[in-house]
Amino acid sequence: MRRPVKIRIDLDSPVPAYRQIVDALRVPLVEGALAPGASLPSVRRLAMDLGVHFNTVGEAYRELAAEGWLDLKHGRGATVVARGSQPAAAPERWQELRGQLRNLVAQMRSAGVPPSRIAAELRAISESLKP
Amino acid sequence: MNSVVVFSLLMLAFLGAIMLLLPHFSPRRFLFAITVPPGFRESGPGLAALRRYHWEVAAAILVTAAAAMALAQWLPEAAFVVAAMAPIVGGLAAFLRERSQVRRQAPRVADVREAELSAKGDHLPRWFLLAIPPFAAPGAFALYLRAHWDEIPSRIPMHYGFNGPDRWADKSPQAVYAPLLFSTGLMLLLLLLLMLAAFYGSRRTPQRGAILKLVLGALYLFALPFGGAGFNPLFQIPPAWHFIPPLVLVSAAIAWALRIASDPSNPGEATPDDCWYLGVIYYNPHDPAVFVQKRMGFGFTFNFGNRWAWIVLVGFAVGMVALVLVFPRGH
Repeated sequence: MRRPVKIRIDLDSPVPAYRQIVDALRVPLVEGALAPGASLPSVRRLAMDLGVHFNTVGEAYRELAAEGWLDLKHGRGATVVARGSQPAAAPERWQELRGQLRNLVAQMRSAGVPPSRIAAELRAISESLKP
Repeated sequence: MNSVVVFSLLMLAFLGAIMLLLPHFSPRRFLFAITVPPGFRESGPGLAALRRYHWEVAAAILVTAAAAMALAQWLPEAAFVVAAMAPIVGGLAAFLRERSQVRRQAPRVADVREAELSAKGDHLPRWFLLAIPPFAAPGAFALYLRAHWDEIPSRIPMHYGFNGPDRWADKSPQAVYAPLLFSTGLMLLLLLLLMLAAFYGSRRTPQRGAILKLVLGALYLFALPFGGAGFNPLFQIPPAWHFIPPLVLVSAAIAWALRIASDPSNPGEATPDDCWYLGVIYYNPHDPAVFVQKRMGFGFTFNFGNRWAWIVLVGFAVGMVALVLVFPRGH
């Protein structure tokens, strides 16, 4: 039996709760742990389970819907949809993501992780996230 | 030794034991209702706080026992009130003192929340059908009373003091059936509150099944010993029989809930420490939950920062007042 997918957020983190929910949901969506057709908990239920405001979850769901991952229907919650092949990210978006990755790699280097380990880790994560 | 002293000392022993156990009656992630890191309970400061608390509560119990015995000769009712209130007040003072110590000494724990991405509805387990039979008990009692209506005396005890019944009502359907209506109403209110708590206003928690079982036990308690009070007009059941079975059942439920609440595998629900007042009152307007898991004890409590909690609470209070009004005043 497949284990239920769970997400975790840290309310003490400086990262806004809605951003953490988007990031936490995107991982199982990209991995395929949440396959097309799968239903997500309603905004009310997820907000209650995480102890955050309804709008926080609503905003996260809307952002994922805008990315093409979810179909939001009033009163029926959110459903994962099949996502066709995506066009390559626009240059501005690519620069933004690259900047984020650069910051993360710098943090890892600063924490003493050797470059070879970082490269191997990035490759492994990239492979595991293939839908 | 007169009955006041016996009742007072029994009450003191019961409440004193609960107050002594209070810090253990909690998921492992909390100590004195403050979130602590794993291992803090067993650390020097954690053990010292527990030791101080136990000594202070034990001292309060001993002083209260002496005071209750001294008072029992001149002011019996005051002795009973002192025996019931002093361990709670003394225990609460010790609890709050140690709570502020732990708050200062325990390292801060990150407020991490976890949720299952399941859209499945929250269904009741099949065994919860056992909640139906208790509702049949008051009906069966009522039928029995109706069949033996002529044997019911013309005066019916309505209230009991230390020395037996002290208020009576004339025989009437309202006076005879009031205890049964009261227990049925109480069961309905409890079931309604549970449904609201379990399905519309709380997080999905691993303790939910255990809470359902506890409520099931409470339904039987209200149906049998409380509903059995309806037989008073016929059998003149001694007051102790109304007092002892609930005490035994409540003690057993507390022991069982203690085991579940302190189970190391029970993570306990994450809520911000700053939103808990006196360790028992939760007020968080940013939390959409109407009910949250208690930090002390077992079960749910209201989120007083949510207006729906107040609406439910007022509805419950109105229901309770309506049930009390079912009883004739007596004389």
